[in-house]
Amino acid sequence: MPIILDQSEEVITIRLLGEVDISCAIELRALLLTALGSKKKLRLELEETCELDVTTLQLLWAAEREARSCGVKFTVEQPLPQAVSRMVADAGFEKFPLPANS
Amino acid sequence: MIDKFKQAFLEEARDILVELESALLELNEKRDDLELVGRAFRALHTVKGSGAMFGFEELAAFTHNLETAFDAVRNGQLRITGDLINLSLAAKDQIKAMLEQASGGPPVQQAVSDEILAQVRRLTGKAEPSVVISTQAAVSDTVPATSTVAQGPTRDWRIHFSPGPDFMRSGANPLLLLRELKQLGTLHVNASMAAVPPIAELEPERCYISWELSLTTAVAREAISDVFIFVADICDLAIDPVAQAVPDPALQVVNLPPVTQPEKTQIVVADKNATKPPPWGRRASDTPDNASSIRVPAAKLDQFVDLVGELVTVQARLGQLATRHEDPEIASVSEEIERLTSALRENSINIRMLPLRATFERFRRLVHDLARDLHKEVELTIEGAETELDKSVIDQLNDPLMHLIRNSMDHGIESSERRSVSGKRSAATIRLSARHSGASVLIGVSDDGGGIDAAAVRARAVEKGLVAADAALSEAEVFSLILAPGFSTAKTVTDVSGRGVGMDVVRRSVEALRGNIEITSKPAEGTTVTLRLPLTLAIIDGLLVRVGEAHFVLPLASTLECIELTRQDIARANGKHVAIVRGEIIPYIRLREYFNMQAEAPEREQVMVAETEDGRYGFVVDQVLGDHQTVIKNLGRFYSHVQLVSGATILGNGAVALILDPNRLVRDAIRTLPLIPRDSRGELPRTESKAARRAACS
Repeated sequence: MPIILDQSEEVITIRLLGEVDISCAIELRALLLTALGSKKKLRLELEETCELDVTTLQLLWAAEREARSCGVKFTVEQPLPQAVSRMVADAGFEKFPLPANS
Repeated sequence: MIDKFKQAFLEEARDILVELESALLELNEKRDDLELVGRAFRALHTVKGSGAMFGFEELAAFTHNLETAFDAVRNGQLRITGDLINLSLAAKDQIKAMLEQASGGPPVQQAVSDEILAQVRRLTGKAEPSVVISTQAAVSDTVPATSTVAQGPTRDWRIHFSPGPDFMRSGANPLLLLRELKQLGTLHVNASMAAVPPIAELEPERCYISWELSLTTAVAREAISDVFIFVADICDLAIDPVAQAVPDPALQVVNLPPVTQPEKTQIVVADKNATKPPPWGRRASDTPDNASSIRVPAAKLDQFVDLVGELVTVQARLGQLATRHEDPEIASVSEEIERLTSALRENSINIRMLPLRATFERFRRLVHDLARDLHKEVELTIEGAETELDKSVIDQLNDPLMHLIRNSMDHGIESSERRSVSGKRSAATIRLSARHSGASVLIGVSDDGGGIDAAAVRARAVEKGLVAADAALSEAEVFSLILAPGFSTAKTVTDVSGRGVGMDVVRRSVEALRGNIEITSKPAEGTTVTLRLPLTLAIIDGLLVRVGEAHFVLPLASTLECIELTRQDIARANGKHVAIVRGEIIPYIRLREYFNMQAEAPEREQVMVAETEDGRYGFVVDQVLGDHQTVIKNLGRFYSHVQLVSGATILGNGAVALILDPNRLVRDAIRTLPLIPRDSRGELPRTESKAARRAACS
């Protein structure tokens, strides 16, 4: 399973490992919904991520939007791995997880 | 679903390889034709990019090396040579083998791949082995950023790309497409998230992102479209040129007289008549190709035609029921269904009709390779490639045509030296032709070689005990001996032919298709082998006839007319099987006698006059029942040796009717019955005067 969820009193950390693509999309959405529902801070770690696809990107984007609207703090650990940065740039996202035009 | 799209890729890739081979062979003839270089490059580029997208990394990496070579040709760094063409053809074969392996075929030989790649690198001067392409880095990792960018003036394009609901589930990846586009020039990517719903409502396996792209490139729109070739059906795509900002001298501001009112009116009318382009130009899904054709697996088509065949049989039963019950309402419905079934049958047959071009074009490669191996100079000309034939017939044509071409190349065509001595052009010609002839298609394989030595054929046939030494044989009969099993006059057996198995195989294959073969040849001028094949093997228009309790079907296409034959007519002919139709003597075959049927003949019989390859002959039956849509069923392996019938059909009452083959029936009858044979012009023998013959029949 390339998705790991760590929970503490205040923070939920989601770590994505290796290739995270459409095959993990249903699972990732469920975890994000759980995390957002808990109203805890949500932290995303991509340190060990090799690849993301657009289904993952749009889920993270939707999660970030949902977090903002319901007052949940959403952070992405920086710096991003090179492969992820390149993928994000190729997909037209200037500042992950926000697209260039947002 | 991913498998479905992979399958679609495999099928498309096979088509692209055919296009690649065709381009390479043409390029061999016209080595400076940049358009052909572009065709070959695009084919390789598409196979590589799409292969990587669908997970065929090895195929993509292999193809990439060859693509690099053709990129070097495009950029003037490498010249087209015979070696490069041969190497490219070998590489194309290897790519095909990789596709076959992916479809469950035998594994590819890695050593062959390695050898080809080593040779490609030697040619291109690139010593480093290629980088293996991964699915996530399909193109951009391996191709230098400028390698595929065409030289020349650039222009700006605006591209709208919106993946459809099933895009991701199909295995496609938008990022790979964006990266491939990036190779074509300078790309600015803008992701639009407007359609992404709240996370609670979001379908995780669906892509909601769409992209607005600006591309500055020197490549044509076609090359941009090619990037999306395998996803055109599952995305919304619009590619529009952006108006050039560079001032056009032709549009410089000049002082013009004011526009008059009539001119203004004209302008307004013209503007109203102008077709407004859609905001994003033509969508991918609106392209003529997508709108006018779809790809259907051959098995589904066969099933469809089989079902139509069953429907035709049931419709015949309904027709019989309607006749028996004499109910006008049932009769009316039955007639309507008959009309619809007939139209459906026509349509289903037409769907299966394919032009012979693809089959013929495949032989360019064979001729190219054999000419190289045999050290002969041979040109292949193709005529009538648009002639259409049932797919099931075409599928079985490959082997016979291959044997014929190999024979021509090996035995028919002389060496260049010998041709020069004979005053012939050093380059020989093989002509592959097709044309319609009634309900048949004639396919010819001709060469301008040395011709067949009829005396040698005869001597060999006598030696093998196929004919008696003193047998009186026409030239056509001598040539037909070549088709006998194990016959060969070749003095040496080569890798190409000479084992005496080829022509027998050709004969059996063609006869299995209910066709026949004719050979003509002139010494020093060449040989023509003509295959006469039926248009379809599925359903034909037939004429249903009855003899005693048995039913037969004669192909309607070969029947001419029906006349009555009384016992007096038979008596007047003095036992000779001839009828006189408007002064013309027509020999006939009494099916009752021919098939040794015991039932009593009626007072008045019917003669169905048919046009056969041996001229006009009659077939005497008890009754002509009328037109019959005939669904052809094979007789099965047990009766496969029966040559006089081309199959059987099931009638409305469940009875079986044999479908007669008039040509074979006449030939057999000439041999076995006291039937008067016609000569090659269809004339009856001149040994008797016309008056004498009339007297004999009167």
